[in-house]
Amino acid sequence: MLARLTNAEQLMMQLSWYIALIPALPLIGFLLNALVVRNERANGLLASASVLAAFGVALYAVVDLAALPEESRRLTVTLWDWLSVGNLTVSMGLLFDPLTAVMVLLITGVGALIHIYSMSYMHGDARPARYFAYLNLFVFSMLMLVMADNLLLLFLGWEGVGLCSFLLIGHYFDRKSVAPGIVPSEAAAKAFVANRVGDAGLILAMLLIVSYFGTLSFFGADGESGFLNKATEVSFISVNVSILGSIGVVSAIGMLMLLGVTGKSAQAPLFVWLPDAMAGPTPVSALIHAATMVTAGVYLIVRTHIIYDLASDAASWVTVIGGVTALIGATAALTQFDIKRVLAYSTISQLGFMIAAAGMGAYTAAIFHLLTHGVFKALLFLGSGAIIHGLHDVQDMRRMGGLRKSMPTVYRIYLLGALALAGIFPFAGFWSKDEILAHGWYFAQDYNITIMLIVSSLFTAFYMGRQIALTFGGEARDEDLHPHEDLGSMKWPLYLLAGGAIIAGILNIPGVHWLHDWLHPVLHEETELFTLSMGIFATITTLLAAGSGYLGYWLYNRMDRSQIRAGEEDPAHYYLGDIWKGFELGWGVDYVYTRFLVKPYRAFARFMYRVVDQQAVDGILVEGTAGLVGKLARLGAGAQNGNVRSYALVFFVGVVIVVGYVVFGA
Amino acid sequence: MIPTAMYIGLSALLFTIGVLGVLLRRSALMVFMSVELMLNSANLALVTFANQWQSVDAQIMVFFVITVAAAEVAVGLALLVMIFRQKRTTNIDTMTSLKG
Repeated sequence: MLARLTNAEQLMMQLSWYIALIPALPLIGFLLNALVVRNERANGLLASASVLAAFGVALYAVVDLAALPEESRRLTVTLWDWLSVGNLTVSMGLLFDPLTAVMVLLITGVGALIHIYSMSYMHGDARPARYFAYLNLFVFSMLMLVMADNLLLLFLGWEGVGLCSFLLIGHYFDRKSVAPGIVPSEAAAKAFVANRVGDAGLILAMLLIVSYFGTLSFFGADGESGFLNKATEVSFISVNVSILGSIGVVSAIGMLMLLGVTGKSAQAPLFVWLPDAMAGPTPVSALIHAATMVTAGVYLIVRTHIIYDLASDAASWVTVIGGVTALIGATAALTQFDIKRVLAYSTISQLGFMIAAAGMGAYTAAIFHLLTHGVFKALLFLGSGAIIHGLHDVQDMRRMGGLRKSMPTVYRIYLLGALALAGIFPFAGFWSKDEILAHGWYFAQDYNITIMLIVSSLFTAFYMGRQIALTFGGEARDEDLHPHEDLGSMKWPLYLLAGGAIIAGILNIPGVHWLHDWLHPVLHEETELFTLSMGIFATITTLLAAGSGYLGYWLYNRMDRSQIRAGEEDPAHYYLGDIWKGFELGWGVDYVYTRFLVKPYRAFARFMYRVVDQQAVDGILVEGTAGLVGKLARLGAGAQNGNVRSYALVFFVGVVIVVGYVVFGA
Repeated sequence: MIPTAMYIGLSALLFTIGVLGVLLRRSALMVFMSVELMLNSANLALVTFANQWQSVDAQIMVFFVITVAAAEVAVGLALLVMIFRQKRTTNIDTMTSLKG
């Protein structure tokens, strides 16, 4: 036993160092693209190659990881001590365990496809070096996030993806407005600010962890001294929150991290930034929604699941937030007309599924859905990018229709993505979504939330049916558009992702559960027994979803041109009125923020600018001081009249006074 | 023998004339000559005291003053010529371009 472990440890030492290459390669790509390379083709190739190489290294690392005995499947490499303050030492250390491995494979795999797709999608863009550099930096930040062995390094990546989303959403910063009436620079700022609100929660959680555990490391250098190992020791301690009463330390940490998660993973009530985030180029939307950024919150909860296992109140909040978000996102997606906005709200809804699953303790199911969703949502976004590309930047589905004939390849690919998202048997989304629903119904027995999720999944099928009908079905509604299908090198990422959308479910289908076994060293979840009643449950949900999806398709496919016109409301608005309108505005969360936070804040800022800054600071302090000095100087300048004789007079009078003083005064 | 006080009185008179010349005359040339007058009044005082104390120290100072005055005349006259070429006048009241 001892010898075997030493062998394993030696193996770990041997293969640890190169996992640092995984984040290093995109970082090198970023630096070269940002500083050296100034050629569009070279930018794209370099960016894609660096992420693809990182994917290769990650695959190699996974193979080595799988060769280790299950209990020691954790590679670590400490590059250097990052900072050391008093008793707290934070190392620049990387961690590669089964959970990190699946995240890294998703990020680099889907990320690389998005990079390759970008090369033709962004052809002719004004700022290719900038775009690809930021794309690389985005992937680097996300890799740091999932590979960090401590919370502070995770926070570095966490902030990094926030920064990169800001930079990439604002890629078209010089445009006043992009469809449907979003100002890119404002959308970028909105994403940043909404994320900052959540980040404050994560910072507070870190401070609590430091003060109670004295370390930010997940597992410590020896794998046993991190705060996750010690969480049980402090689970009985409470902290006082002044007027709010007292709360257990672990619950407080869980709640504060949940706030961070709502910001980064676009959960209620901080999801408002995600629908606007599509102001960026479409591949960026795919990157934000599928492979990176929004999955960070789910990852954080699963990584620190020990905290949530101990704090059942925090975990139940996670579940509620996830369930509510799933429903808000699904209802909002029902009503949108912008092809990308449907997908954006759909992402919010699907993230709600993952968060709810994590809250209910179904961590494997959450990661499983994260993976499948990463694949088919990337497919849908890249597919919608192909549509937008083919229609020359038209995103309004009211102006589309009939694209089935003009874009047959995109139609087929998109349909696959839609079926996967809708959770239709046997596509990827069916397996992962049903695992969440089954867990909620049979194991967590949280029927309220599960019913919310089932309703959301029915809406999901409905809005995808509606989108397929509006986009591809029926007749072309706008004769001014001349759709053409010219995919070029964009088609290979689409084909690969479409393949993934079909078969990704095999990762964790009942009876096989590879993912479950793979994540077992991290999550220690028991394999759930598959029973006949669960099979019936799954059959019912998928039949309902299929029915709902077909209903959506049927309803919108039979409408003719007179019923759906650009600039007009959806026909359903006639029947549902304000409810429909409320759905369309994302349940008015944005409105509340604008009305009660943004506008008062802007008024306050205007007051500070016009009165305090312009009048008090500029008027009195700055210009007043300058004016006073100027007046004094003018007074002194009068003596310098340029008249030599008056200088001479002063000089002589001075001499007379000095001599007089010396001779007579002393 | 003429008493020392008379020489010193003459020296003081010449110096005063020089000062007044510098302060009151507008012509740069006259100002210049007034300065020379002041220097020579000082020279007169120096040789007077040298005579009084029977010492050559003060007379040496006179040679220094004459030398410096000669150098000053050379530079000053050159300046004057340049100014005259620029302004077509030697009236020093017109030379006020260094006004603050």
